[in-house]
Amino acid sequence: SAPAPGKKRWLRAYLEMQRLQEPPQRRSEKPNWDYHAEIQAFGHRLQENFALDLLKIAFVNPCYIESEEARRRQLGLDKDAVALQLQDNTGLAEQGLRFARDYLAQCFEGAYPALPAKGVEALVNFLTSQELVSYVAQNLAIQDLALCRDFPAPPDVLQKTFLAVIGALLESSGPERTGIFVRDFLIPQLIGKDLFEIWEVVNPMGLLLEELTKRNISAPEPRITRQLGVSTVLPVYFVGLYCDKKILAEGPGETLLAAEEEAARVALRKLYGYTENRRPWDYSKPKQGLAAEKAISSN
Amino acid sequence: RYVRQLQRLQLLFSPTAADARGARQFVEEAAQDFARQHPDVVLYVSPHSGPGPAPVLRAEYLNGTVREELIASRTSEEILQLATKLANQSGLDIIRIRKPFHTDNPSVQGQWHPLTNKPSILTVQGPRLQPQ
Repeated sequence: SAPAPGKKRWLRAYLEMQRLQEPPQRRSEKPNWDYHAEIQAFGHRLQENFALDLLKIAFVNPCYIESEEARRRQLGLDKDAVALQLQDNTGLAEQGLRFARDYLAQCFEGAYPALPAKGVEALVNFLTSQELVSYVAQNLAIQDLALCRDFPAPPDVLQKTFLAVIGALLESSGPERTGIFVRDFLIPQLIGKDLFEIWEVVNPMGLLLEELTKRNISAPEPRITRQLGVSTVLPVYFVGLYCDKKILAEGPGETLLAAEEEAARVALRKLYGYTENRRPWDYSKPKQGLAAEKAISSN
Repeated sequence: RYVRQLQRLQLLFSPTAADARGARQFVEEAAQDFARQHPDVVLYVSPHSGPGPAPVLRAEYLNGTVREELIASRTSEEILQLATKLANQSGLDIIRIRKPFHTDNPSVQGQWHPLTNKPSILTVQGPRLQPQ
């Protein structure tokens, strides 16, 4: 007798397995996708007025143009049809990168005046690094809108696209609004991060000596403040740095050298004003005068 | 600044099925107002003709989660309420929250460690000075 008709029990499990084994596809290739509407929604989502054509240029990557031209050449079109009418986002990306770096350097110099140029540079490099910017870009769903050759888009492409978006915003709305945008999206990535996690300092003691000579304070004298478990496998030494018999900073460590280095780092954090209990960043709306001053100084 | 986590809403329904009546009413009456009030959400309306799967409202969030809600045999107002609820959510998974509190600064004056209130080795305890 023939098997009973109707859906089989294994069918659902089989379809689910097929669905999970498919290669990942771009969102633009799945059903229900309207590029223009998505770009408009992107602008509204970030609460910014973009010039839409600039934004469309900002999402076009050079690898996409090359792959499209190669595909058209393969399909055998004429030379005129092969050349696409699209512009790259490299110019906008460079503009955005320059503006972001200048603006962030300005912010940090204003907020932490004691921080040396190398520290500011290290912070700015961290905030414009590939991983951070690509993380921010992914969470703003730029990877759906960016036109790129491979999928999923590699982090340097995402970084370039995000910087190009900043460049497009700069051209459409001006430096003040772009500055507020950069502040709102890049500076919160510093929350919870320590200065010396971002800035690699090889010799904190030497740096501390330089800072103290700049302020005309005598050299620090390290003394052991507390110690625990000296003869065990895990000793703890607290080394305090004293200048003119007044305490500067105190730091723990496993060995005496490590504790001294840690104390030097704590002293540097206190001097630069980057401690954990500093005032949080000011995200309020800038007043008119300050905004004009920033625009003039950036030009 | 606030960034709405809902990226797009896809309304998949059939133009003839009986349980998609609420969906059709929503599309006729309230969908345009909803789209106007939420300009950062892209609303796709795709009717699939003929007998097909149940009418569903699919929400895609910025972190990639896709949430599907059945809207079969629901009225237009209920679908509107559901859409606003999805628009105000974030894309995090809906699981049990272990504790209703979280703090980024667990200690204000510094966390206690065994050496906090012990005097340092360097404090000198001499004989008590006579008041002069």
